[in-house]
Amino acid sequence: MSEDKKSQVSRRQFLNYTLTGVGGFMAAGLLAPMIRFAVDPALQPETSGDFVSTGKEVDSFTNEPTRVDFTVEQQDAWYNSKVTKTAWVYKQEDGSILALSPKCTHLGCIVGWNDNEDHPNMFYCPCHDGLYEKNGKNIPGTPPTAPLSVYDVQVKDGILYLGKEIPRKEA
Amino acid sequence: MLQKIYDWIDERIDITPIWRDIADHEVPEHVNPAHHFSAFVYCFGGLTFFVTVIQILSGMFLTMYYVPDIENAWDSVFYLQQEVAHGQIVRGMHHWGASVVIVMLFLHTLRVFFQGAYKKPRELNWIVGVLIFFVMLALGLTGYLLPWDNKAYFATTVTADIAASIPFIGEDLKTLLTGDPNIIGAQTLTRFFAIHVFFLPAALFVLLAAHFIMIRRQGISGPL
Amino acid sequence: MHRGKGMKFVGDSRIRENDDRHIPKDYSEYPGRTEPFWPNFLLKEWLVGAVFLVGFLVLTVAHPAPLEKEADPSTAGYIPLPDWYFLFLYQFLKYPFASGDYVVIGTIVIPGLAFGALLLAPFLDKGPERRPTKRPIATSLMLIGIISVFYLTWEAADHVDWEARAASQKLVEGIEIDQESPGYQVYSQNSCLQCHGDTLEGGAAAPPLIDTGLTADEIKDIAQNGIGTMPAGQFEGSDEELQQLAEFIESLNAE
Repeated sequence: MSEDKKSQVSRRQFLNYTLTGVGGFMAAGLLAPMIRFAVDPALQPETSGDFVSTGKEVDSFTNEPTRVDFTVEQQDAWYNSKVTKTAWVYKQEDGSILALSPKCTHLGCIVGWNDNEDHPNMFYCPCHDGLYEKNGKNIPGTPPTAPLSVYDVQVKDGILYLGKEIPRKEA
Repeated sequence: MLQKIYDWIDERIDITPIWRDIADHEVPEHVNPAHHFSAFVYCFGGLTFFVTVIQILSGMFLTMYYVPDIENAWDSVFYLQQEVAHGQIVRGMHHWGASVVIVMLFLHTLRVFFQGAYKKPRELNWIVGVLIFFVMLALGLTGYLLPWDNKAYFATTVTADIAASIPFIGEDLKTLLTGDPNIIGAQTLTRFFAIHVFFLPAALFVLLAAHFIMIRRQGISGPL
Repeated sequence: MHRGKGMKFVGDSRIRENDDRHIPKDYSEYPGRTEPFWPNFLLKEWLVGAVFLVGFLVLTVAHPAPLEKEADPSTAGYIPLPDWYFLFLYQFLKYPFASGDYVVIGTIVIPGLAFGALLLAPFLDKGPERRPTKRPIATSLMLIGIISVFYLTWEAADHVDWEARAASQKLVEGIEIDQESPGYQVYSQNSCLQCHGDTLEGGAAAPPLIDTGLTADEIKDIAQNGIGTMPAGQFEGSDEELQQLAEFIESLNAE
């Protein structure tokens, strides 16, 4: 086959290319809005959390973690609800308040304080036996890779307010 | 009468060759349990298909009562199981069928594997079969959330976190799956419903058609 | 489509006239012990299918499909569990080499390799031999795979206290908890709520307090002295409050 013939587009080739092009246009025109529609949640900007009152007095906390339930207005697309969140709160040695999220950083199960006989005074996750120290630091050799998240803490008129959950990197 | 109707249709659209091909093809001796009892292992594929048919039918009927909404999903499942006549059987078929189909698929896969039936020229059919296996597992995973009970909710939380642990794309993948970066909620349920009821079955039909067409073209693998 | 001389078609269509293809092949045309798919072989398959269906229907009647309580994200101490056919993956993530910093190994690398190998088996095991004994590598890898899946599933299931799970998720109907009643106030002010839940529905570490069948005196004793895994000294109030609590819990009976 000569150079000349190679560069020529035959009638059949031309029709094939055109067919592919028109088909591609139809597929793209159909799918583009649908795909944008489907991926919308991933492209939403992150919302900042407001501080929510727990209704508990700051002075009532000791250096032993206590479970605090507080209610957050949660907007899940068209569904608005009040969601009860949980924090493990205690007073650190310097007098400041530490509020830990009970969500295990391994796979998101709920940890409990001091509720496993084999691991006293630790946060224990029943799913895969994850352990955390009192300050939320994960214990190496157990599944979690990061310490428990902490809530933003604010004190107004002696009442504890909790804000966004902030993930922490391994200390 | 029926014969006349059939002939009338057949004269116009020639449907006979289509089913004659399926009806008349020879079934070899080695897959026939009447000749060799051990040939029962060849039943697993057919039984998988049978359970799949049960799943499709029972699933279609379940959607007559089921509502994919977090306020009503659990109540609708509770209602259809407790209040609707034969609700326990229809939901039971779908629930237990999901387990049985996995068992049957597993056995069918092992039969094909240990007989080396996936070897040339049947490589493509093996790949399609494994893809069907994946689609079935995904159907099980998405269907698990739909009753919106505690088991469903917490298992899906873990699933979402596993998806999020994938490097680079994990967080976005999780959001795409659950509809919200932080909440397993209303959008998760509708997404899983859409995937379970429309997207995955569509993929399943295509793969099943390819699977069966290839079996008809290639014939069943010979005896060992 | 071959249109030879003498072919006749129905009207202007492409359907051939007077076609006799719908006469079935004679049984003598099946060599050896082969047989036609329809109706001979399909009947055998359907007999198997019918027996299978009867067993399956008996299962659905005998065992209602389980339904736990409606999803409540704040359920305390709920241990998530996937459907049984994912238990092996769930168990796998418990091991230190597949979790923690190596969670990618547990969630992506190993399952990806295993399922990828399964998908591409025909290209990894290319030899012409089909008998399992003649291809020891493929066979032994598959056997290892099966054994590990069975072992992991068993390990995961063995770790679970199925009875406690079922008890904590038992549907309790027809109970209205009066959160204004003095008994509930006592209940929520003490630590009872943390384990037994805000609607006394129970949790992973504690049973529901509805329909206990206990008398007020027994409840008072348990609240003070503990029972089973519940430690003593959980109740820290006055005797009067204790009485209110006990009467409140005693009154919670589904009709």
